[in-house]
Amino acid sequence: MSIVAMLDEARAARRQKTLIAFNAATLRLGGKTIIENLDLEVRPGEFLCIVGASGCGKTTALRLAAGLYRPTSGAVTFDGEPITEPRREVAIVFQDYGKALLPWRTAAGNISLALEASRVPARERGARIEALLRKVGLPGHADKYPSEMSGGMQQRLQIARCLAQEPTTLLMDEPFGALDAMTRQGLQDEVLSLTHASQTTVIFVTHDLDEAIYLGDRVVGLLPHPGRIGIELDVDLPRPRDQLATREHPEFLRLRRQLFDFIKATEH
Amino acid sequence: MNRAAILWRVASILVAAGLIAAWQLAANLRLVSPVFLPGPDRAWAALVRGFSSGDLAGKLIGTLEHMAYGWLAASIAGIALGALIGSSKMMRAYVAPSLEFLRPLPVSAIIPVAIAMLGLTRGMALFVIAFGAIWPIVLATIHGFAAVEPRLYEVARSLQMSRAAIIGKIALPSALPDILAGMRLSLTVALILSVVCEILAGLDGLGQWVLLSARAFRSADLFAGVILLGATGYLTSIAMSLVEQRLLAWQTAAR
Repeated sequence: MSIVAMLDEARAARRQKTLIAFNAATLRLGGKTIIENLDLEVRPGEFLCIVGASGCGKTTALRLAAGLYRPTSGAVTFDGEPITEPRREVAIVFQDYGKALLPWRTAAGNISLALEASRVPARERGARIEALLRKVGLPGHADKYPSEMSGGMQQRLQIARCLAQEPTTLLMDEPFGALDAMTRQGLQDEVLSLTHASQTTVIFVTHDLDEAIYLGDRVVGLLPHPGRIGIELDVDLPRPRDQLATREHPEFLRLRRQLFDFIKATEH
Repeated sequence: MNRAAILWRVASILVAAGLIAAWQLAANLRLVSPVFLPGPDRAWAALVRGFSSGDLAGKLIGTLEHMAYGWLAASIAGIALGALIGSSKMMRAYVAPSLEFLRPLPVSAIIPVAIAMLGLTRGMALFVIAFGAIWPIVLATIHGFAAVEPRLYEVARSLQMSRAAIIGKIALPSALPDILAGMRLSLTVALILSVVCEILAGLDGLGQWVLLSARAFRSADLFAGVILLGATGYLTSIAMSLVEQRLLAWQTAAR
């Protein structure tokens, strides 16, 4: 058996396990049921995308997985343990990068915040910061303040800070929603290569159906009021994905049609 | 500095020079008796004489000390109190109404109470200065802490930062522009109250110098003291601006 085949088998075996599980998770906030009886399992190393019309609770589901909310009933577990608080191995990339960065710290300082929280000794931080900035395509911007950077650069910086946590899981809440199309495609490919290389598990919330299919191993569509699962699609597209070839693939077009029909049906 | 900025600077100096010239003219024409109004020439001479042969320098240092100690005490206590109240919604709800009662209380009404309790001492002066100067700082700090971007607290939670780290690395720096603005207001209050306390309690300082000069009809000395007080307020305010510019360099980085 070749090494590649063995690795593939090992990867397949790992994917059978569950890293994050929603078991009949329900969340009520202020008398409103945001999410009801959500059952969802995320396997280690998987790239799961969640889509849905606005108000379907996709961001809320992410916040439950992050430990920023606790379910009213049911359970959300990480590696079998109930999630009660955010944990360092789970990093969150927020959509509003402008609000999630410290405006009074430079790019290097913002990454340092995560390293300080993980008690990385001061003398090791410099090299780590430099490596992280290179990793997200921001070498040479260490001394810039967020206000001196474009939206795309700020989001890269936030991703770098999240990677500084050395997370096993990345939770991304419409991270590219506010960026222009070209920046967006570049960042999509970078997130794919970063997370693939480190076998990071990703839950990626987006309202862009093409983006969900392009990135994901699996796409889950939520139904609104209250949020629950409406459709689940396995994305069997070859990796590495390619902005042109993947988006022209017949399977991509088939999934896209299926997902569009689903979303359209939920809007009535 | 560009041309327009230089022109503005020149214009502001011309206005100041014009005012001094008008003052000299008024004194020379004896519009007011020289017993009450010396010209800038006599005031300047008195200032130089006060420093070279009198104890004006000692008085200046006395006032600066009262101002600095009172202001520092107010700053430390004000930031601590403001942070305590501002970082909790419950504290804001419970304590804010009491603060609103104490805040508009004229400090001059507190002075007799302070004298009754502490006597005509430096301790009394420090208490009065700190009490008067604390309010702008407390209110600014509360406001600054209440206005911290909630998303940053979520970032802190996801990084599992300690409570001390959240205050030191997120809340305080975020509130710093407000805090510095409050400290700048307090600086003026501290100077005013230093002079008032020196006059009332006869403490060594420019307030006492001004009072004694006025009583002895030494108007040139009186004006020298007043000029020195004006300069003190002006220069401390400039120093404060420089500190602000340095600490808040990130605010101007992009613009």
